[in-house]
Amino acid sequence: MFTFEFLVTAISSGSLYALLALGLVIIYGILKMVNFAYGELIMFGGYVLYLVGTYTRLPWLVVALAAVLGAMIISYLTELVAFRRVRAKSLTALLITSFAVSTLLQNAALLIISPRAKAVILPPVFSTSVTLFGATIAMRNILTITISIAMLVGLTLLFRYTILGIALRAAADNFRMTRMLGVPADLVISSAFVLSGLIAGVCSLFWIGRTASVTPTIGLGPLIIAFIATVIGGMNSLVGAAVGGFAYGLIFSFIGVLLPQVLLDYREAFMFLIVLLILLFRPEGMVRSKHAEERIG
Amino acid sequence: MKTSRLTTWLSSYSTILILSVPLLILAAMTNLLADYLLLRIVTALFVSLIVVLGMQVFMGNSGILAWAHVGFMGIGAYVSAVCSMTPTMKKIAIPQIYPFLMQLHLPFWAAVLVGAAVAAVIAAFVTYPLMRLSDAAGAISSFALLIIINSVLVHWDRVTNGPRTLFGIDELTNIWIAVGCAILVLILAYLFKESSLGLRLRASRADYYAASAVGINITLVRYYSFIISAAIAGFGGGLYAHYITSFTPNAFYLTETFNVLAMLVVGGTLGVSGAVVGSLAVTIAREGMRAIENNINLYHMLPFDVIGLTEVFLATVLIISLIWKPEGIMGGREFRWRPKAGPQEANRKSADPAKRE
Amino acid sequence: MLRVDNLQVHYGAIAALRGVSLRVEKGELVALIGVNGAGKTTTLSAIAGTVKALSGSIIFQGQSLIDKSPEAVLRLGIAVVPEGRDIFPSLTVEENLRLGAFSRHNRNEYRNDLRETFELFPILQERFHQLGGTLSGGEQQQLAIARSLMAHPTLLMLDEPSLGLAPTLVSQIFSLIVTLRSRGATILLVEQNVQRTLEIADRVYLLNTGQIELQGTPAQLKAEGSIKDVYLGKAK
Repeated sequence: MFTFEFLVTAISSGSLYALLALGLVIIYGILKMVNFAYGELIMFGGYVLYLVGTYTRLPWLVVALAAVLGAMIISYLTELVAFRRVRAKSLTALLITSFAVSTLLQNAALLIISPRAKAVILPPVFSTSVTLFGATIAMRNILTITISIAMLVGLTLLFRYTILGIALRAAADNFRMTRMLGVPADLVISSAFVLSGLIAGVCSLFWIGRTASVTPTIGLGPLIIAFIATVIGGMNSLVGAAVGGFAYGLIFSFIGVLLPQVLLDYREAFMFLIVLLILLFRPEGMVRSKHAEERIG
Repeated sequence: MKTSRLTTWLSSYSTILILSVPLLILAAMTNLLADYLLLRIVTALFVSLIVVLGMQVFMGNSGILAWAHVGFMGIGAYVSAVCSMTPTMKKIAIPQIYPFLMQLHLPFWAAVLVGAAVAAVIAAFVTYPLMRLSDAAGAISSFALLIIINSVLVHWDRVTNGPRTLFGIDELTNIWIAVGCAILVLILAYLFKESSLGLRLRASRADYYAASAVGINITLVRYYSFIISAAIAGFGGGLYAHYITSFTPNAFYLTETFNVLAMLVVGGTLGVSGAVVGSLAVTIAREGMRAIENNINLYHMLPFDVIGLTEVFLATVLIISLIWKPEGIMGGREFRWRPKAGPQEANRKSADPAKRE
Repeated sequence: MLRVDNLQVHYGAIAALRGVSLRVEKGELVALIGVNGAGKTTTLSAIAGTVKALSGSIIFQGQSLIDKSPEAVLRLGIAVVPEGRDIFPSLTVEENLRLGAFSRHNRNEYRNDLRETFELFPILQERFHQLGGTLSGGEQQQLAIARSLMAHPTLLMLDEPSLGLAPTLVSQIFSLIVTLRSRGATILLVEQNVQRTLEIADRVYLLNTGQIELQGTPAQLKAEGSIKDVYLGKAK
């Protein structure tokens, strides 16, 4: 049951989910807003993969790069056009805006491309397997793990050692004070959105890599995963979100193997129930962070 | 010069009249024209209005976004459907339905009210701890709640037929029932807003700490308001179920949330007038765009099919509305008959505590 | 250097500042005192750009500060150490300081600045790699001031630096302010500790319910004797 192959699959899910969660929490930390359009960034990446991959003869690596860049650009644009102007208003307005942007992007894909699923060309390496320790491991899983971990490490370095990273973390602690030290608000927030887009773009490669097709509604799944992961791990901490994502991926995989078939349908509902319980009794998440002011009543 | 008590009383409740009369006229005219499509649109408008008003009761007065609202509409819809469908129909539509549910067979009004009651009870059990959370955490929790409700509706197929369509509900919501209920809910929402509970809730919206300081138990006030709001949503859901006669859990998820939010925000969250105006405006915009979309597709005016144009348009309108006029068309005011006022009337009007967005 | 004229600030319907005028010249240590709620923090916030003024003018070295963002105000040379310190709890002391130097681009200057900082605030060198949230109140206050100084401001504004500190630490903070002043800094100090403030300030403004009630040198104010009245509510 718990073969080496299964373990690799579980870790693959875990690392991808950790990355997904990070992309969402980067923005939440500073703006306190759940970016509902985050899923659509992944969708956008998928459509770039589809369009560029189908209509040009470029090598796949270039196509993938285009997808990641596309996600970064569209994320930046959503901030520039919509979020920047609503930022100064209430959090409620910001949340509704992000929801509207999500709807807009989804239906724009519907309108401009098609409501039907489009096949995405994947590189041959995604379908190959490798034999390790006597088990057949999908190359795709190995790639997911290596790239995700590389990204996580890279981002950790960025947040720890670059001035931008420090500014982003400071903004999550106290945005007003960060501005008072001369750090431009727009720069910080735009950077957060671009980073979030970068992560979404990379995640889209592996998410689409599972099904080799893209639809306008493909973003909802990753959004909910990222959302749950951050709730479990803690929405106020980058480390917490990543840990939450990893845990979610592992738990999900394990439950999938442990539960009898009849209860498998309830796996999702079960995870959500855990989420609700966490929100009710420990809204700051499972990972201890330095400070949390989630309770007011 | 003192204004007479009658005039004052009339002025206070004139909002209800000013809003109800056009709705009744609309219903009457639509009935007269007897165009089937128009009849359907206007009935749907009235049912949506009920759900929007439900959202206004909580969100408009508390300032908190209730993502799960449409979920309670779904609960009301499914419960009322299961109650009102004939046992034979239920056996066909929900093959694995629990025996005791299959035997259940209530008349229309009872079914709808049971739906509302179940929604209210579930809200009562689940949401008390949520009311204590701060803005950001509260928004997350209610979104999670929406997902959970959807998940339950999708998975509990012995009650809901799962993700598959539930069909076979009798079409019992006609235009007069719809408009009548809408006006009733309108009165309820307005009375709530002006009641002691509503006032306390609005105070908490205007200034959380000041409200606590004067002894308002904000958690409790939010809790009661949310239950009322969920009951209205469930009620609207029940009416919706008997209007549309077949639906899936997806009808009470993100798309519908978007619709309800658009109507409330565009109209203005702070008052019932906003809910009415917003519902009208968005329905007109949506049906108009839908007609354009259909015509383009039907007559092949463009080399490709335009699907989703309506939603893109509505989303854009919502975003623009949030950027330029976040307080909505009504801007926090209500329609009201203001007779030539004495000095105390004028002062009272400008002292609305919950004017800020 | 700084000239505030007839500044009016409203929070919604409430008038927090009803026409405040003050000035700070180069090299001065000017104090703004008054009871809680008099509008001292609002005054600083309006100058710093975190609160919008309804009317009035704020001119700093010839430039108007009205409608400028907090970042822009910092770049013009005004640094604020807010009430409550506002250090970043999840960042280390080092990171806090590094961020304070954000607006300065020269790497070598950063090293020099750090050396100066350690001279003035030796405790920060000890705690260099500790998280800001683990520092004591007094240490946090020092960090907040050091962090603002990293930006080499022309004008330093301090909002109640002695708030919540034990008496020995209060002395420390006040002597620190005097040291800074002796090194040529221009300081606008908002304080509740009237006695200490009068000892070190060049000029004092007394703010009461949004207006300047008294102004002058500490000697002048003591002679006039009505500070006590204002504080005890006997004045209008």
